[in-house]
Amino acid sequence: MTSRGTPSRFLQSVLQNGVGRYVCQLKRISLIFSKNGQSSLGAREFIEEGVVDFAIKNPGTVVYVSPQSCRIPKIVAEYLNGNVKEEAITSKTSQQIAELITKLTNQSGLDIIRIRKPIHTDSPSIQGQWHPFTNRPPSIGPIGPQKQQANERLCETS
Amino acid sequence: MSSFTKSAQQWATFARSWYLIDARMQPPGKIATMCAVRLQGKHKPIYHALSDVGDHVVVMNTRHIAFSGNKWEQKVYSSHTQFPGGFKQVTATQLHLKDPKAIVKLAVYGMLPRNLSRRTMMQRLHLFPEDDLPEDILMNLTEELPQPREIPRRLNEYSQEEREAFPTLWTPPEDYRMK
Repeated sequence: MTSRGTPSRFLQSVLQNGVGRYVCQLKRISLIFSKNGQSSLGAREFIEEGVVDFAIKNPGTVVYVSPQSCRIPKIVAEYLNGNVKEEAITSKTSQQIAELITKLTNQSGLDIIRIRKPIHTDSPSIQGQWHPFTNRPPSIGPIGPQKQQANERLCETS
Repeated sequence: MSSFTKSAQQWATFARSWYLIDARMQPPGKIATMCAVRLQGKHKPIYHALSDVGDHVVVMNTRHIAFSGNKWEQKVYSSHTQFPGGFKQVTATQLHLKDPKAIVKLAVYGMLPRNLSRRTMMQRLHLFPEDDLPEDILMNLTEELPQPREIPRRLNEYSQEEREAFPTLWTPPEDYRMK
C-alpha cells in the first residue's frame, strides 16, 4: 500500500520523556514458553541465565514468566500508553532473545508506522510567528479617502 | 503571540488584509506593480504560489491617473472580437473615457502570473474611478500604501514665503520687458 493508504504519525515522545528524568516505557513483559518443546529451548536458556539480571537492571518493568503448553513461545510487551506488542521467539537462541528484549525495553510504546517528518519541536518560533501586523507601522488616523485633503485641493485650485 | 492556540496562530498568520492605494496623479504602471505584488502575496514571508496567500487591494481615483510622456495619445490597447474585421485598436485616452477603470485593470492583469490563479487575484482587486468607496469596503481596510510618485505642486500651491525663499539667479529691473 502507499503511504497515503497506511497509517502515519508525527514524531513525538511520550510526555517529553527524557527532558527531565527518563522513565522506561515498558510496563510489563511476559515470557510465555513451554517446559518441554524444541521451539522454546532458547526461551528456557534465557530464563536460566539472563532474565533475573534483566529484571534487576530494569526496576520499573514487571517481568512475568509463565510456562504453559503452547506451540509457539512468545514475548508479550505492554507499554505505559497501553500498546501491546507480541513477538514470537520460536527457535531463537538465548542471545537473540536477549537482544530482542533490550530492543523492546528501549522502545516507547508508540506505533511503528510511517513517521511523517523526522523532526519535531515544541517551540517552532522563537521570535514569534509572522502575522500581517508584525513590522507594520501603526496607521495614523482612519484609513480611507480623507475629506479634508480633497477640500484643500479644491480651495487651492479655486 | 506565543500564548495563542494553534488554530488562532494559523488564522492570524494566514489572514487576508485589505490595502488601499490612491491613484490620483500616479502612473498606472507603478500602481499596477504595487497591486500585483500584494495580490500574489509576495510581500509576505509565508508566500507560496500554490498557497493562495494574496491580499485584497482597493484602488481609488483611477479616473485621475497620470501617464508620463505622450502615452495618452500614443499608447494603443488592442483587442479582437474573433469575428473577421473585428480587430480594434483604441488609444489610451479613448479607452479611459469609455471606462475609467480599464487602464489600471489591464495593467494589473498583465503583471500577474499567467496561470489559473490570475483570475482569482483579479477578483480580489477592487477599482473605483472616484474616491467614494462603499461602506463595507471602507470597514475592511487595514493599511493605506504610500503613493509611488511624489506629486509636484503647481505654482499657486506654493505659499508666498516659499516663493520668496526660492533662490533666484537674477532679478530683472522694473522696466525689463519679457518676450
